[in-house]
Amino acid sequence: MTPLITIENLAVELQSKLILSQVDLSLSKGEILGLVGPSGCGKTTLLSTLAGFIGQSTGSIEINTGDKLIKITLDDMLPPEQRNIGMIFQDYALFPHLTVTENICFGLKKITKVEQAQRCEELLTLLELNELAQRYPHQLSGGQQQRVAIARALAPQPSLLLLDEPFSNIDARLRNELMIEIRQLLKRLEITAIFVTHNKDEVFTFADKIAVMHQGQVLQVGAPALVCQQPNSWQVADFLQLGSWLPVMFSATENSLALSSLIGALAPHRIKNIGACKNAVLTNFQLLVKPSDIVLSSHEANNVIIEHIGVTEQGYHYLLSSLEQNTTLAFSQLSFYSQELFMLGAELAIQLKGEHFLLYPT
Amino acid sequence: MAPIVVMLFASINVSSDLFAHLWSTVLPEYIRNTLGLGILVALLSLCFGVPAAAIISQTNIVMGKQLRWLLMLPLAMPAYLVAYLYTDLFDYAGPVQRVLRAWFDWHSPNDYYFFDIRTLGGAAIVIAFVLFPYVYMLTRTALEQQDRNLLRASRLLGCTERQSFYQIALPLARPAIAVSLALVTMETLADFATVQYFAVNTLTTAIYDTWLGYGDFAAANALASVLMLFILFVVVAEQRARAGQRHQSSRPNTEHQRKQLSLIQQILASMFCWFLVFAGFLLPIILLLNMAIDYADYQQFTALIETGKNSIKIATYSATIATLIALTLALFQRLHQSRGRMIPVQISGFGYAIPGTVLAMAMLATFGPLDHVINDVAKAFDFKAPGLILSGTVFAIVFAFIVRFSAIANGTINAGIGQIPKSLDLAPASLGVKTLPALFRVHLPLLKSSILVAWLLVFVEAMKELPAVLLLRPFNFETLSTQIYQLISDERLEQGALGAILIVLFGLLPIIFLNRQKDSK
Repeated sequence: MTPLITIENLAVELQSKLILSQVDLSLSKGEILGLVGPSGCGKTTLLSTLAGFIGQSTGSIEINTGDKLIKITLDDMLPPEQRNIGMIFQDYALFPHLTVTENICFGLKKITKVEQAQRCEELLTLLELNELAQRYPHQLSGGQQQRVAIARALAPQPSLLLLDEPFSNIDARLRNELMIEIRQLLKRLEITAIFVTHNKDEVFTFADKIAVMHQGQVLQVGAPALVCQQPNSWQVADFLQLGSWLPVMFSATENSLALSSLIGALAPHRIKNIGACKNAVLTNFQLLVKPSDIVLSSHEANNVIIEHIGVTEQGYHYLLSSLEQNTTLAFSQLSFYSQELFMLGAELAIQLKGEHFLLYPT
Repeated sequence: MAPIVVMLFASINVSSDLFAHLWSTVLPEYIRNTLGLGILVALLSLCFGVPAAAIISQTNIVMGKQLRWLLMLPLAMPAYLVAYLYTDLFDYAGPVQRVLRAWFDWHSPNDYYFFDIRTLGGAAIVIAFVLFPYVYMLTRTALEQQDRNLLRASRLLGCTERQSFYQIALPLARPAIAVSLALVTMETLADFATVQYFAVNTLTTAIYDTWLGYGDFAAANALASVLMLFILFVVVAEQRARAGQRHQSSRPNTEHQRKQLSLIQQILASMFCWFLVFAGFLLPIILLLNMAIDYADYQQFTALIETGKNSIKIATYSATIATLIALTLALFQRLHQSRGRMIPVQISGFGYAIPGTVLAMAMLATFGPLDHVINDVAKAFDFKAPGLILSGTVFAIVFAFIVRFSAIANGTINAGIGQIPKSLDLAPASLGVKTLPALFRVHLPLLKSSILVAWLLVFVEAMKELPAVLLLRPFNFETLSTQIYQLISDERLEQGALGAILIVLFGLLPIIFLNRQKDSK
């Protein structure tokens, strides 16, 4: 299947600073990609570059509209209005001097008035905005404004829809409901979309694919479940908050190598990605530890102290620090859940229980 | 507002023959001229100010940073000065026509056509040259403050850069353009000296002539009331133009990409902007400097010191009192949650709309009878009659200035207070500090620059204001503006060139200060 959009080796430099580098992505028709990463990692810059607000320094963008192939290169930098891309802005950017209908019809200048009215009517019905057609943006609630922004962006039937943190202004209670509703709408209309967020939960609800960005690069792209199971770098695992970090080091035993930490040792076969790590020259690594990988130990000496206690649906959430702090294996903020209530500052003995771990160079 | 009410009331009861005579003879023409001038100046200011604002805020024009503030300088130039200087330059006897006659060997006016500057059109052009910066400044700010995502959205919906500007940026700047045009129109309707010098009879000149020429106070009052009605019309039109327009920007357009001009566009845009700077400021100041150098003498200098002192005295009183009142009102409005807290500020806002001539008539209508009452009371108690303590001293001038310029001080200080987060009103109380000490320790230090700007703006306006001083000044009391007006009327500005430069220099102060403040931000 031919991809609808292909981004190859894209780089963006602004004021002599490299903001994006070596970005490669492709999306098929109807796919929704969630672009995540910490603040300042280049997500919004990537969106602005695709839209044509920022010019790339190298690389190319190809958009297959069905009728024609739009190729955006350094030599042929198409202006935004010729890219056939729609966008929903974080603050919706509705034109305050135009009514809902006028906003929706704004991008429909190329078709006749009758067709415009028809398209507008369809979108008003689709997004349940019929009652609000003659209102101005300031007369609408946040959710209604978002619907208008969606209708306006969909009206010119763009090949690709970009969404810049579309749910950040929505009440937390309504957010999930709205995300499901919009996802269903995009799927029904077979719209290809890229949306930016720094909330990983939004990606899992809204996207088919996730791309994790860090310092201007796309670290990993794939189905959300796959990325969660096999994060390819500690940055990916760290951003997706897949667990906490336990410093470990390789140590020689009688027969083979083992991994030692302040809360016990691990045999190398329990490390899923040991092959990749063995090649690393470093001796210090970080082990990704999920709360469920830790249990209380009855036969070990106390090795951690409770630094913080929180209450969650899963029981008490403890953040633990190692008792021993003067070593490279010392740790803090290790997550552990228990139904039992301990005192703040209490010392506990814990050990690793999980079968499969992921290891990353420090 | 009380004097205005007194004036309107007095004019309703007018039974002056002179007014009837005026109505049947010249008044319709005066009204036509007043309206024609207002509309022409507004149109010209629109044609000068909006393109200049668009060029400076949206394009990469060469020397854009300098032109940005140079285009504000004409505001410092009183229109009547430019009128005189340009008449001097373009008149039949002026250097331009002399050179043309010498070059082309023309001998009389019948040999060639040359525009006559002393006409309604000439007055409109001259006034527009010095008032267009209002339109330029407010429109430029509006364009720069626009949410850049609105323009981006329009581009993605198929608009080119140009379409995006005309369909989104310009309509969104409409409220700012409406406000600036209203300001320009009010200033034009209030103008007295320019139109009088050009012999274009408008309502302001009619009021002046009726009162000082014919001594008919009632008819002058009635004319002032007619002018006030026009002003009210402008105020209402401006309010209506802004109604329903809520264009708040959450994401100012600070880092937008400027349009790259082609060579031809650069040349045209530069010519346009530099022409405005040259016509509105550079040429008049060069002519004034030239005069000052040619005609400077010691006698002129000592006279200048005397009148300069008077001007500075009145301007200082007015600026200080107006700023104090504005500060009190603003703090009252901020800290009091009562329903009527906005009323004093709203009422004082009307003052700026009242032309100086009308205001002066209103002061005379109110303070004249009050002075008589005071004298009668003094006599009844066997005291020496104090004389005209209200209408015959600088009190009336200062009072008129405060009424007229309070809106400027209020606007500036309110804008400053609006920048202070509401939480700072509450924080001192949470730290055990009472309201009054909190005002001195938190609000006033934060408002320091707003207070200074408000003071400077009122000071400069008071230095420049002419019609009110002409009507209200005590005998033998001259200010820089009245002295220059007198010299202009006598075609002897050369002798007052230094004073004129001084007024312009004072006028530059707030512009320089505001510009530096913005740069440091």
